Amino acid sequence: MIDELILMEGMLEELIEVIGALAPLLALLAVFQVFLIQLSWHEVYKALIGIVMAVVGFTLFLQGVYIAFMPAGQEIGAAIVEHPESWLLVPIGFVLGAVATSAEPAVRVLTYEVEEESNGAIRKSILLLTLALGVGVFVAVAMIRILIGFPLWWVLVPAYGIALIVAFFADQRFVSIAFDSGGVATGPMTVTFILAMAISVAGTLEGRDPFMEGFGLVALVALAPILSVLILGMIFRFKEKPE
Amino acid sequence: MGTLWHEFKETLSAVLPVTIVVILLQLIFVSTNVIELLQLIIGAVMTIGGLALFIGGAKLGLLPVGEKIGSRLPEKVSFSWIIMSGFLLGFVVTVAEPDVRILASQIDDAGEQFVSEGLLIASIALGVGVFVALAFLRKLLQIKLVYMLVPSYMLVFFVTLFVPEEFIAIAFDAGGVTTGPITVPFILALSIGISAVVKGGNEETSSDSFGLVAMASIGPILAVLILGVLFYD
Repeated sequence: MIDELILMEGMLEELIEVIGALAPLLALLAVFQVFLIQLSWHEVYKALIGIVMAVVGFTLFLQGVYIAFMPAGQEIGAAIVEHPESWLLVPIGFVLGAVATSAEPAVRVLTYEVEEESNGAIRKSILLLTLALGVGVFVAVAMIRILIGFPLWWVLVPAYGIALIVAFFADQRFVSIAFDSGGVATGPMTVTFILAMAISVAGTLEGRDPFMEGFGLVALVALAPILSVLILGMIFRFKEKPE
Repeated sequence: MGTLWHEFKETLSAVLPVTIVVILLQLIFVSTNVIELLQLIIGAVMTIGGLALFIGGAKLGLLPVGEKIGSRLPEKVSFSWIIMSGFLLGFVVTVAEPDVRILASQIDDAGEQFVSEGLLIASIALGVGVFVALAFLRKLLQIKLVYMLVPSYMLVFFVTLFVPEEFIAIAFDAGGVTTGPITVPFILALSIGISAVVKGGNEETSSDSFGLVAMASIGPILAVLILGVLFYD
């Protein structure tokens, strides 16, 4: 229980970290500027404004995550373990995964791209539904994994096995899209909140270890879009054949 | 300013629904303390505003430069320098990726300091760099994506056999976070230039990132697994 707002604490360290994070990129871009691209002063000026915005934004983002989403994830995770109905974690995981995915802008770009590639055969709404349910199911699986405690490879090996086999039979255009889309559902909310909650549950629960059962959630979330797009791509290919 | 407003709406629509679920969970399971709730809401506002400003700034300041580099590289330098640039840019852009930083700090927080945050970020970045270089090579030599993906994943699962289990979950998670809000657009911007030069074999479309993101997410898995083999026995 806290009785005082913590808002700005540690923000200076965040700023220093962000500058350190962006420094190598900026240094490399400066080298390219001198030897390769030679942008005009006007373009350099625009780039510098963008970089200052990015630094301020990155710092604010990290601070927001550190004061709000990460502690909330930890507290909620620990509270659910204490709760007599700790199986509730599974449906909560499902809802969080589905909600986070359907709201993610990158997912919308993907559904648009797939509809174009399939000439409208795979409609945006169908793919969006598949993805949201898929990610929901995989987050729920991750929560079951924490509660029961089975190794990550029980899920990863069969899932990647299926994905790679399907990749041989699916339309090649869909293979690139599918494997490229692994990252679309693992947006900032997955890492900041859902993972924080999972780690906290695994840390609080007797006989579980954050490193064994808590982590691995992002990996499972990344599987859902790959499998969804590949399987829809295969269905699309079979539908297209008779013509 | 128009783009910034657009970024703000995009970010808001991505973060708000989850925030509402989080607030509900907080009220049901933790407490109804007003100050705690206020902190959550202010933090969420900072997250949304910060992410929008970051992505808007990156689009204004970094992406045009990336595109320019992508189009100039094949004109001006040799084959091996293109591959080298792919490696370097993949590396530095991953160091700048917010999602990678959050994951690293969570691993650090979870205790058992067997790898430092810096070393972890460096290996993830190294993995992305190598695989972006491989993806450029693939495009220039026009190898089918499946022929790169299958052996790479087989190698990943093979290495898994020699790694302590604590490292496996982290490694696969690292593969997921590299495809964050800055890496993907920046690498895509670069690849547009490269694709324009290699126009042959049209098995794929110009709109996709030619499997770059797919390749970029294998690198960190492998890198963190190898880190596990080296530093933990």
